[in-house]
Amino acid sequence: MAEPILDVRAVSVGYGKTQVLWDISLAVPQDQRIGLFGPNGHGKTTLLRTISGLLRPWSGEVHLRGERIDKALPRTIVDRGIIQVPQGNVLFPELTVSENLRLGAYCRRARPRLADNLARVYDLFPRLKERRRQQAKTLSGGERQMLAIGAGLMGEPTMLMLDEPTLGLAPKLKDELLEAIAEISRSGVPLMLVEQDLEFLLELTDRLYMINHGVVALDLDASEGFDHDQIIQMYFGKE
Amino acid sequence: MDIGTAQSVLLSGIVLGSLYALMATGLSLIWTTLGIFNFAHGVFMTIGAFIAWQIGADLGWGMGPAAGIAVAIAALIGLGCLSEFILVRPFLRRPDVVLVAVITTLSAAIFLENSALLVWGGRYKQLPPLIKGKVGMLSTAISTHEVLIIAVAPLTLFALWAFLKFTRTGSAIRAVAQNRESALLMGMNVPVLYSLAFGLSAALAGFAGILLGSIRFITPGLGNEPLVKALIVAIFGGLGSLGGTIGAAYVIGLMEAISMFFIGLYWTPAVLFGVMISVLLVRPTGLFGKR
Repeated sequence: MAEPILDVRAVSVGYGKTQVLWDISLAVPQDQRIGLFGPNGHGKTTLLRTISGLLRPWSGEVHLRGERIDKALPRTIVDRGIIQVPQGNVLFPELTVSENLRLGAYCRRARPRLADNLARVYDLFPRLKERRRQQAKTLSGGERQMLAIGAGLMGEPTMLMLDEPTLGLAPKLKDELLEAIAEISRSGVPLMLVEQDLEFLLELTDRLYMINHGVVALDLDASEGFDHDQIIQMYFGKE
Repeated sequence: MDIGTAQSVLLSGIVLGSLYALMATGLSLIWTTLGIFNFAHGVFMTIGAFIAWQIGADLGWGMGPAAGIAVAIAALIGLGCLSEFILVRPFLRRPDVVLVAVITTLSAAIFLENSALLVWGGRYKQLPPLIKGKVGMLSTAISTHEVLIIAVAPLTLFALWAFLKFTRTGSAIRAVAQNRESALLMGMNVPVLYSLAFGLSAALAGFAGILLGSIRFITPGLGNEPLVKALIVAIFGGLGSLGGTIGAAYVIGLMEAISMFFIGLYWTPAVLFGVMISVLLVRPTGLFGKR
């Protein structure tokens, strides 16, 4: 089997004295889209923050294409192409949409293709183009999410990590985003997607991990379907 | 009050406003990017004036005003970056950083002020005006140097605005101020941007000191009173809004000049504080502040 793009090995991490992740291991193989789901507060976001370098693991290792990155600075990791789009984020509220997007291409690697990528993002989200001179804080929830994803794309990701992109969005907007994310994925960007909505995840990903109480509780192949009852039992405990 | 007096009150108000604008934007820049108040900002001004005097003035090393200004600005950028590194960076992730920074920057201010006293002594010094002579205006004359201040301050601030608005680094400085975590996730070097904001702010203060150093005498305490005024301006204008700060600087400058004329030197600071407090009672976010 080919070497995975991203390899998380037995990572434990937490905030202060509170441990959140307990020996988590998962791998992102080439050409596989990964979905993470599970109850709130069980470590999905923490895992993404650890991969991005915002948190330093207490133990364990993170490898990107064979190189160890768990001690690297966030900007080094961004420069290697892992871009995290954080949850419910307004990015830079007082900056205009276009300024926000341009800053998405801040890292050296993404600068040369700024103009191309900007055109691509405006193609994908025409609404951002209409609003490019507005301050980001004037955008609606859905538009903010588009902006956050767009800014992530501006960084020329070799792996894009989206943290609950549809949080709090109306179903219609959700579908629109689903379509956009599917298109991003089709363009060849490996995805790691955190979502509560399993249907959403099943449409977009090949492999699902359920994170519960800081460990990988379930590892599912999306093509094989899954057992609703089993998941519901994991969420709510046994009856 | 005849027209000549009115005019000179107005002009001195604008001169003061220009200097306060240079001072207060620096203070405000640090507040927006790092979320702290820099009490060493006034002494940055003093050091700038002293260095320019030492390098440029005939009683110093006599290398001319251009060299004096260039060296002083460069030194102040360095001093600003160093201050950020020593006084702020070690405490930045603490929840009580605002309070800690008050203590560290205040102690640095005292340290630098006394160092200036040791190095340059307490004897009054003065920078020669950048341009000598006077310009006649209607019924009064104003020194060319003051005209220069009135013209240069807005130009400098315009350059600052253009830098923050149109350059990649400038946008990044504004961005870091608004969302540190997203800035990190976009690959920005946050410590360097903080350092840069501090250096820029110190350079602005030093430049204001150089301009002030030829209308007032340079003493180790030169920057104290302008610092208080800059604080009033920054709070009065609404913390964090650059445009608001600049507008407030001219309002306060004019108010000070008018109050000096009608009420006198002694009570003017009280008047300014009174005005600031009244404005804050009605508009807690300051005159031009949002939310």
